[in-house]
Amino acid sequence: MATRLIANTGRTTGMATGLSAIFFQNRAALLRFLRARGAGEDAEDLLQDMWMKLEAKDLGPVADPLPYLYRMANNLMLDRYRSATRRERREQDWAEGAGGVMADPNDDLAVDERMILNQRLEQARGILADLGPRVELVFRRFRIEGVGQRLIAEELGVSLTTVEKDLQKAYRAMLALKQSLDTE
Amino acid sequence: MMNEEALGWVIRTRDPEFDDWDAFTIWLEGDPERAAAYDVLMAADADLADMVPAEPVVMPVAANDPGVRRPLRWIGGGAIAAALVAAVSVGLLSRSDIYSITTRPGETRSIALDDGTRIELNGGTSLRLDRKNARFAALDAGEAAFTVRHDAANPFRVTVGDAVFEDAGTVFNIVHSGDATRIGVSEGKVIYNPQAEAIALPAGRALSDGAEGLRVMDVAPQAVASWRQGQLIYANAPVGDVTQDIARSLGVTLAATPGARAMRFTGTIRLERDPSRFFAAAAPLMGLSAIRQGNGWLLKEGDGSQN
Repeated sequence: MATRLIANTGRTTGMATGLSAIFFQNRAALLRFLRARGAGEDAEDLLQDMWMKLEAKDLGPVADPLPYLYRMANNLMLDRYRSATRRERREQDWAEGAGGVMADPNDDLAVDERMILNQRLEQARGILADLGPRVELVFRRFRIEGVGQRLIAEELGVSLTTVEKDLQKAYRAMLALKQSLDTE
Repeated sequence: MMNEEALGWVIRTRDPEFDDWDAFTIWLEGDPERAAAYDVLMAADADLADMVPAEPVVMPVAANDPGVRRPLRWIGGGAIAAALVAAVSVGLLSRSDIYSITTRPGETRSIALDDGTRIELNGGTSLRLDRKNARFAALDAGEAAFTVRHDAANPFRVTVGDAVFEDAGTVFNIVHSGDATRIGVSEGKVIYNPQAEAIALPAGRALSDGAEGLRVMDVAPQAVASWRQGQLIYANAPVGDVTQDIARSLGVTLAATPGARAMRFTGTIRLERDPSRFFAAAAPLMGLSAIRQGNGWLLKEGDGSQN
């Protein structure tokens, strides 16, 4: 069904493989992905948006064109979700009379807010530290510094499975903390 | 209750090397609820960057007191030390063996000093050195990476504005623009204002001194002075800083909208000589779009689809 293309044509031949060519060859697979990702009836429109963007941007050769296209599609869906929840929250804030001004997190905060923020940072730091130095290191490398799991495993001389498990553990702890802070 | 499977996919798809989108599609198709669970966790994941102390504020005085612009400067010996340094700088300036080295935007230069110290200048940088004293440098503007031959008896000192950085066996990078100074340490240790605050910065620590006051944070050692390898590496860095780094490294005029400047970026940007190709690849990475504006470029929010 989904035609799987050799992702690095551009790199191996050294030719500027047009992203748009890859896009067309994988149109069906991308559409299927967008539908699975929850785009529903909008999947075709989103695909059209993607195409317009690719045309407008005239990107140079991309190392791995197909994963790049999938990531682009995935990001589109994440943006959709984010703007939908933001809209919801705004409407809720209005209803509760909290006003519609979105505070810029970089604006100067009141002293007490800043103290709470610092407390939370300390809390997060404490939780990470409790998980042990390796788990903390793996999480920081992956989530804060954006290093891939394979590379982290090589750096630490541990198996990929170990890195995966460490990440799961750290993520569970951090997301649980986030949940408890959000409901505070 | 957390959806463990969805969490697994969040971690997998977040990996920069992830490419098994077919398997991800098949998992999503298994149940329409899965896409929703994935969205929720991805949104939570996006907030983690603000929660995890990549920037642990260890200077509570400065961080808790936004009303005062530079509180530490006026505490204890800070002002006196600054005055002393200023006096020393003036003294050195009047001597004829001080010379300046400047690079144009987009140009880089490497300098070897007699004592084995190496200084690499990024574009748009102005640095003063002393022929008679190889242990002195003053960064007046721009960015420079220092690989210092350590000598405990005669430490290498870099003055930046009224601040002094003293090495303790070190590779470090300093950026100075306007009133703001940033330093990152990749090896050894640097002491910030040894006569005043005397903040020790070991490898993996960075310090910034700007409008928000003095802050100390973590930095990936390999991210320090990564411009020398043709890339810029960031962890939760303000896009405003990234913008300046790009302008300096590429030699382009680059502005960013206030909204874009307020955003933060984590990731690696590969430098590329041709600005059109560079921005086409780099702007989407930052979740921004770049448009040509006169002779320069403007970074703005959004993906550029609506204009």
